[in-house]
Amino acid sequence: MHSLRSLRRQMFDIRPGEHRRTWAMFFYLMFVLFAYYILKPVSRGMFLTKFDVDKLPQLYILIAAFGGALAYLYSRAAVKSSLQTAVFWTMFLSVTSLVAIWWAIHLPWMVYVLNIWVGLFSIILVSQGWLVASNLFDAREAKRLYPLLGMSMVLGAAFGGEFTNRTALLVGTRNLLLASAFMVVLSYLAFRVAISQAPTRVHEARAAEKKDTEFSFGEMMRDILRIRHLQVIVAILVVTYLVDTLVEYQFQAMARVGHTGDQLTAFFGQFYGLYLNLTEFIFQLFLTAAVVNRFGVGGTLQISPWSVALSSIATVVAPGVVSASAVRLTEASTRYTMNRTGMELLYMPLPLELRNRIKAFIDICVDRFSRGIGGVLLIFLTTGWLHLHVKGIAIVVMALCIPWIWLAHSARREYIATIRKRLESRRLDFQEVRINVTERATVQLLESTAYGEQARPAAYALTLLSQAPDYDIRPMLRKLAMSDSPEIRTAVFSAALERRDDAALENAVKIIRAVQSGESQDLPQSAVPYALALAPDRAKLARELLQDRNPALAIGAVEALRNQEDLAKQLLTREWMNGEEQSTEPARRRLAARAAGVLRDRTDVVWLASLLNEPKMRADAIDALAAYGPAICGALSDMLLDESMPIRVRRQIPRVLKAIPAQRSVDVLLSAIGQEDLSIRSAVLKALNRLRETSSGLNFENAFVQEQILKEARYYYELYAAMAPFKGEQARLLTRSIEYRLKGTLERLFRLLGLRYPPKEIYNAYRAVSDENAEDHTAALEFLDTTLERNLKRILIPLLDAPETRLERGRELFGLAPMTAEQAIRDLLHSHDPWLAPCAIATAAELKLRSLAPEIAEAAGRGESEVSEVAKSAGAMLAA
Amino acid sequence: MPELNIVEKVIALEGVELWHNLSPEQLARIGSIAEEVKMPPQRVIIEAGKPVDALYVIVEGSVELSRNGEAVATAKQNDVLGAWALFDEKDPLPVTAKTLEDTRLLKIVRDDFYDLLSDNSEITSAIFSTLVKRFRKLVEQ
Repeated sequence: MHSLRSLRRQMFDIRPGEHRRTWAMFFYLMFVLFAYYILKPVSRGMFLTKFDVDKLPQLYILIAAFGGALAYLYSRAAVKSSLQTAVFWTMFLSVTSLVAIWWAIHLPWMVYVLNIWVGLFSIILVSQGWLVASNLFDAREAKRLYPLLGMSMVLGAAFGGEFTNRTALLVGTRNLLLASAFMVVLSYLAFRVAISQAPTRVHEARAAEKKDTEFSFGEMMRDILRIRHLQVIVAILVVTYLVDTLVEYQFQAMARVGHTGDQLTAFFGQFYGLYLNLTEFIFQLFLTAAVVNRFGVGGTLQISPWSVALSSIATVVAPGVVSASAVRLTEASTRYTMNRTGMELLYMPLPLELRNRIKAFIDICVDRFSRGIGGVLLIFLTTGWLHLHVKGIAIVVMALCIPWIWLAHSARREYIATIRKRLESRRLDFQEVRINVTERATVQLLESTAYGEQARPAAYALTLLSQAPDYDIRPMLRKLAMSDSPEIRTAVFSAALERRDDAALENAVKIIRAVQSGESQDLPQSAVPYALALAPDRAKLARELLQDRNPALAIGAVEALRNQEDLAKQLLTREWMNGEEQSTEPARRRLAARAAGVLRDRTDVVWLASLLNEPKMRADAIDALAAYGPAICGALSDMLLDESMPIRVRRQIPRVLKAIPAQRSVDVLLSAIGQEDLSIRSAVLKALNRLRETSSGLNFENAFVQEQILKEARYYYELYAAMAPFKGEQARLLTRSIEYRLKGTLERLFRLLGLRYPPKEIYNAYRAVSDENAEDHTAALEFLDTTLERNLKRILIPLLDAPETRLERGRELFGLAPMTAEQAIRDLLHSHDPWLAPCAIATAAELKLRSLAPEIAEAAGRGESEVSEVAKSAGAMLAA
Repeated sequence: MPELNIVEKVIALEGVELWHNLSPEQLARIGSIAEEVKMPPQRVIIEAGKPVDALYVIVEGSVELSRNGEAVATAKQNDVLGAWALFDEKDPLPVTAKTLEDTRLLKIVRDDFYDLLSDNSEITSAIFSTLVKRFRKLVEQ
C-alpha cells in the first residue's frame, strides 16, 4: 500500500490547490500537440508526395530562414504585450492561417508554405505553453508536475497521430487542416482555465520586466554570450536539432521508398501516432519522473545522446526502413520525454525575468537555425564528392553524439553553479582589502596619511608602510613614537617589534616608566612586549613588571614572555604562579591564567578548566587552555563527556577546541555531536563548523555525522508529530516551545550538513530556507535536492518542502503514528527534556487531562526541581 | 498562595517587551534567576531619583506610578517596572512606584542577569536584535 502510494506520489504528486491549474495545463498542452500531430504527417505527406526526398534539405533551410525572422518578430511583439495577449494572438492567427491554407492548398507553392508554417506552429505554441507553465509553477512544483505535463504532450501527440492515420483516407488529407484548427480553439479554452487561478502572474509576465524595455537581436545575443548557463542550453539545443534533422532525413528517405500520397500520410500518422507515442507514453509514464528524481538534470540529459548513438549502430550495420525507424523512434521518444523535461528544468534556476525574455527566442531561433544548419550539412553530406547515403549519415550522427554527451555533463555543473550564485547573491561578503605598496604615488599617499591628523588611518598607513620590503621606516617610527595618539603609538611599537628595530625603544621604555610611577595611565598595548623583546636589560625589566600592581603592565610582561620561553621559565616560577592563582583580586588571577597559557604546565589544566565556570575569567581561561595545543585534547574530551562536570564548564570546552585547529580537536568534537544536552550539542557543532571554515586539511568525514543527521531528522519529525494535535491558542506555550525546538533542530541539521558539504553554500541554503522569500526558499531546496546524497535528501527534503505532507512522511520514514493530545503530552512528559517536560505537564493541567494524573504525580517525585514543582502545581489543579 | 513554578514565571515574563524575541526556554533561564517578591500595600518598590538595580514584573496586584507626589499611571498584572534599569546603571527613574494592594512581583537583579547573559550568548543576541529593531523604528520615524 505504501509503495503504491509512493509510486503515485512520484508520478502524480499534485497537492491541494494545484489541481485546477495542473489539469488545465495538461489539456492545454495536450490539445496543442494534438493539433500539431495532425499537421505534421499532413504537411510531410503532401511534400514528399509532390517532391523528391532530395528537396528536403532545401525545405529545412527555408524553415530556418523564415523561422529565424519570425522568431525575432515574435520576440519583439512578446516584450510589448503580456503573455496572455501573446497566447491569444498566436492562437487566433493559427486558426485563421489554417483555414486560409486549407482554402488555397491547390496553389503550387502552398505545400512549402504549409511545411514552413507547421514547423513554426509547434515551436511557438509549445514554447508558449511551457512559458505559461513556468509562470504558474515554481521550481519545486515544476519538478513534481512537469513529468505529468510532459505526459499530456505525449498523449496529445498520440491522439493526433492516430486520428490522422484513421481519418486521412476517409476525409482526405486536406480536410484534416480544419480538424487541427478546432484543436487549437480547444487548447485556448484550456489555457483560460489554467490562468484563471493566477491571472495576474500570466497577465503581468512579459519577455522583459519593464513594460517599456526594448531589446534587440544583439541584446539577446549578448545575454547568451554573457551567461554561461545559457550558452550550455543553446549548445545542447544546437546539437539536439542537428541530430534530429539528420535522423529525420534518414527516416523520411526510407519511408518515401515504400509509400506515397494518402498512404504516406497514414504511415507517418501511424508511426508518430502509434509507435512513437506509445514509446513516449511508456517513457513518460514509467521512466521520466524516476530518471529525473534519481539522476537529476545532468543525468536525464545524458539519456538521449547515448541512446541515439547506440541505436545508430543498427543503421550502420543494416541500413533500411526498420533500422532508420528504430533510430528515429529512439531519438524522438527520448527527446520529447526525458530530454524535454531535463531542458525545461535546466531553465528553472535562471531569474524569471531572464527566463521569460530569452526562452521563446532560444526555443524558436535556435531550433530554426540548427535545422537550417542541418539542411546545409545534409546538402554537403549527400551531394558532391561525399555523396553519403543513410549509412554514412548514421556515422555522422554518432560523431555528433560525443559533444552532446559532454554538453549534458556540463549542464549539470552549470545548473548547480547558477543555483549557488543565486543563493550567494543574498549574502554580503566582506573581504580584506590589501594594498600593494610598490608604486611611488601609493607610498607618498601613505606617508601623508601616516603623518596626518586622523589616528586610525595614520596607524593603518604606518602598518602598510612597515610591511613594504624596501621602505626605510625608521625615521617614521622615531617621529611617530612621540605621537599623542595611543593608537598610533601602538602601531609604531608593533611595527618596530615585527621588524625587531630599536628605533622607538627609548620612547617605549619612557612610557612604561611613566605608567609605573603613576605619572600616566596611558599604556599602548604593544609597548611592553616591544620593550621586553629588545631592551638590553629585559630580564630585570620583566621581573619588575610582573611584580607591578598595575595589571596592564604585568599582563603586558606575561604576553611578552610568550615568545621567550627561557625567560618565561626563569620568571614565571611555581611560587609566583601559586601566589597569583590564589589571589583574591580577579585581575591577578587573570594574570595567572595568562601565565599558565605561556608556561603550558599540565598541572594548571584543571585549575584553568575551573575558571571556565566564572564569566569574568572565562576568556582568559579559554585562551590559556587553547595555548596548550593538541596535547590537552584528551583531557578536554574527558571533561566534555563527563556528565558530573558542571554544564557551564562543559559548554565552554568546544570554544577551547575551536581555538586548536588540529585533527585531534575535530575528532574530540565529532565524538560529542550526539550529546544529550542541546546547548552542548549546539556548541560542539558551532565549533566544528568554525574549524571546517577556517582550517583546511582537517578531516570531518565521520560515520557519526551521518548517524546524527538521521537522529536529528527523526527528532524533528517526532516534535512535529507531537505538536500536530494542538490547534489555535490551545497549549500555546507548549506549541511555541516546540516551534523554537524545531528551529533549533533545523539549525543543527544544517550545521551537520555543513560538515559534509561545502559549508558556505549550506549556510546560504539554511538562510534561504529560514527566509520568507518563496523564490529563495525554492532555490535552496533545489540546491539541496541536487547536492545531497539520495539517502539524506529522501529524509530532509520533505522536512523542508511541504508541511502538509510532513506527518505522512514521518510515518513512512520512521513509523511515527499520528498522536492525540494526550499521547503527545505523555511522550513529552517521559522525555526527560528539561523544558518540554514541565511545559507538557502544565499543558496537561490546562487541558484538564485527568488520565495523566498518575504520571504527573510520579513526576512530582522526580529529583529535577523544576519538573517536580510544575508537576505539583499541575497535580493540584487536576485534583481540584 | 504557592510560589510560582517555572512555567508560570515564563508566562509572566513573556509580557516583557524587551524579551519578545526570546524562546520560552530562554525565558525559563531568566525565570530561574527571577525571585518572587510579595509586598503589602503602600510599599515603595522604586524611588524616583534613586538608582535601580533590578527589573520587576507584576504578577498580581497593582502599582501606582507617581511623579512629584502626583499619580501618573497605574501598573497592573504583566506590566514591567524598570526594564531599562538592566542596561542603565547610572540614570535613575523619574517616577516612584508604590504598591496599591497586596502585590506579587518577579524581581530580576542586574548582576544575576549579566551573569546569565555571559553564559547564554543567544539570549544576548536576541535582546540585541530587539534593540536594533527598536532603534531602526526610531530612525525611520
